[in-house]
Amino acid sequence: MAIQSVFIVSDNYAVLPEFCAGAKNLAESVTAIVFGDEAAAKEYVSCGADKIIYCPVSDEGAPEDYAKIIAELVKEQPKAIVMINNSIRGRCLAGKLSVYLDTAVLGSVNELSVENDVLSCRRVVYGGTAQRKESFTGNYGVSTISSGIFEAPAEASGNAEILPIPGEPTAPIRRISRNEKKEGAVNLVASKRIVDVGRGLAAEEDLEMCRNLAKVLDAEVGCSRPVAENNKWMPKACYLGITGVQVKPELIVVLGVSGQVQHIGGINKSKVIVAINKDKAAPIFKNADFGLIGDMYKIVPALIEKLS
Amino acid sequence: MKIIACCKIVPNEEEITVLPDRTLAMADASLKISQYDLNALESGKKLAAESSGTMTALSIGSSAYLENSKIRKDILSRGADELSLVMDDSHDFSDSLQTAKAIAGAVKAIGSYDVVLCGAGSSDLYLQEVGIQAGTLLGVPVVNNVTGIKIASDSSLEVERTLEEEVETLEVPLPAVLSVSSEINVPAVPSMREIMKAGKKPVNVLDIDAEIAPSVSTAEQLAPEQQERRQEIVEGDNEEAVDALVSFLKKEGF
Ligand SMILES: Cc1cc2nc3c(=O)[nH]c(=O)nc-3n(C[C@H](O)[C@H](O)[C@H](O)COP(=O)(O)OP(=O)(O)OC[C@H]3O[C@@H](n4cnc5c(N)ncnc54)[C@H](O)[C@@H]3O)c2cc1C
Ligand SMILES: Nc1ncnc2c1ncn2[C@@H]1O[C@H](COP(=O)(O)O)[C@@H](O)[C@H]1O
Repeated sequence: MAIQSVFIVSDNYAVLPEFCAGAKNLAESVTAIVFGDEAAAKEYVSCGADKIIYCPVSDEGAPEDYAKIIAELVKEQPKAIVMINNSIRGRCLAGKLSVYLDTAVLGSVNELSVENDVLSCRRVVYGGTAQRKESFTGNYGVSTISSGIFEAPAEASGNAEILPIPGEPTAPIRRISRNEKKEGAVNLVASKRIVDVGRGLAAEEDLEMCRNLAKVLDAEVGCSRPVAENNKWMPKACYLGITGVQVKPELIVVLGVSGQVQHIGGINKSKVIVAINKDKAAPIFKNADFGLIGDMYKIVPALIEKLS
Repeated sequence: MKIIACCKIVPNEEEITVLPDRTLAMADASLKISQYDLNALESGKKLAAESSGTMTALSIGSSAYLENSKIRKDILSRGADELSLVMDDSHDFSDSLQTAKAIAGAVKAIGSYDVVLCGAGSSDLYLQEVGIQAGTLLGVPVVNNVTGIKIASDSSLEVERTLEEEVETLEVPLPAVLSVSSEINVPAVPSMREIMKAGKKPVNVLDIDAEIAPSVSTAEQLAPEQQERRQEIVEGDNEEAVDALVSFLKKEGF
């Protein structure tokens, strides 16, 4: 049996058709709450929602400011689940809403199902060591979901009723300025071959060597989280792992990555894993089909030469 | 400024044993400070120094975790002046809101504060929610994914927050709760002197007044199915070793 109502809250219009299609399989009524003006909402009239509620956001304000008003709207239903786009703003909205609805957040869930009128979610815990299945015990639940867990519908359908949100938000935080950030994007999910670079790389310039290896292998370059996040040597969209991109190429050559669970969780669906690491005790070797214990600075140039 | 930095104690996930039925055994895993809470402690240390203020570290958990003196010392060697603990063996805190309620209760018990700092997410649950929830419960401004903090005045901070496609600068009135991104700093390794001093710093066990019933139940927790790997390992970085790799790649059809 399906649950009665799902509210989808998203700071990104593009995910609406996919989220609404997924929610339709779980619930009888689907309301989408979006941020922007009426004209933007109208473009998504066929996203599959029964109702679209739009929240105008001023220059100094933010979508998060609407949390309390959204919670009031949800509480008009005796029971409801709120599914929120798993972005940074989305997680902020989720945390606030969960307090106003007095329920937990089940975050970054990768599977949702309804049994006996109760929503269960599956999510990764302990850095990828386990999957946990949990369900909400009260009348309300909040979960954050990423694009990709629901099948996108083949074509647009439906004719949503479009309404403005009742009420205006107040916020103590003022935005002073905003700057667009430009980071290159690559589609590692679709790559057949990947060279995966870790903190064994000593300097940013040495990425060139890894790119050259990728070139002779006809591969894309991915990395571990600290290479992108702390060193900022690669865009964040390039890091692999449970909190990064999960890939399943035919070949992945892993250079100077220790192979901690959080990273392995992003690459363990690869068909063949080759690891190069100078530490023979590195856990990556337990997850490799072929491992070379040695210095990547000696191995990679020799490998490029032999493969070219 | 008076700063409270939240840090969770967790089992080291690299040391959790997966049993043949795919359930987990934690007993052999050593304890550690949740990885990204080291960034919260580091931010707090810096902010306390810049404002000639103080930092209290705060941790919620079971007594089995929080009575560990090595862990207490580890926390206190990272810039905190004192450590406050909420020890509770009657809840398992697998629900983020429960933890947030305990943190909000603890912050009230501590009394006055200017900034509560949380990490990006806990190493075990990684919900990335507890900071936002605790701040909302306290009724103060909250910001997540903070990548920079500047003192703007006695009663406000200028906060840089990095979103997926933009960086925003916010004026945040105090008190406030900030969840810092793991990009914000590189946590320093405690010096010998800091480790020595840590043993002498005060530890307070708090009594909190908070209703913390769970709102989720766990049906199942299992390790994912393991993919078998061949683990053909060659030692060396000489020509022979590279040749072995090349012939492996050829054999596999690459
Ligand atoms: C909640 C949470 C989520 C996380 N999510 C992710 C995630 O999604 N993805 C991710 O990657 N990480 C993630 N992490 C971080 C993860 O725990 C590790 O810190 C990270 O993966 C380590 O990256 P690394 O292997 O590149 O660096 P290190 O662990 O520092 O390993 C570097 C390796 O390089 C080797 N090396 C050094 N020099 C050489 C050389 N010359 N030749 C060959 N080998 C060399 C070393 O022996 C070492 O094994 C997460 C952590 C937490 C707490
Ligand atoms: N039990 C706890 N004790 C202290 N701080 C915590 C606890 N649980 C979570 N936190 C803080 O909240 C942040 C986010 O946690 P989470 O929402 O579980 O990912 C962590 O990085 C900590 O700073």
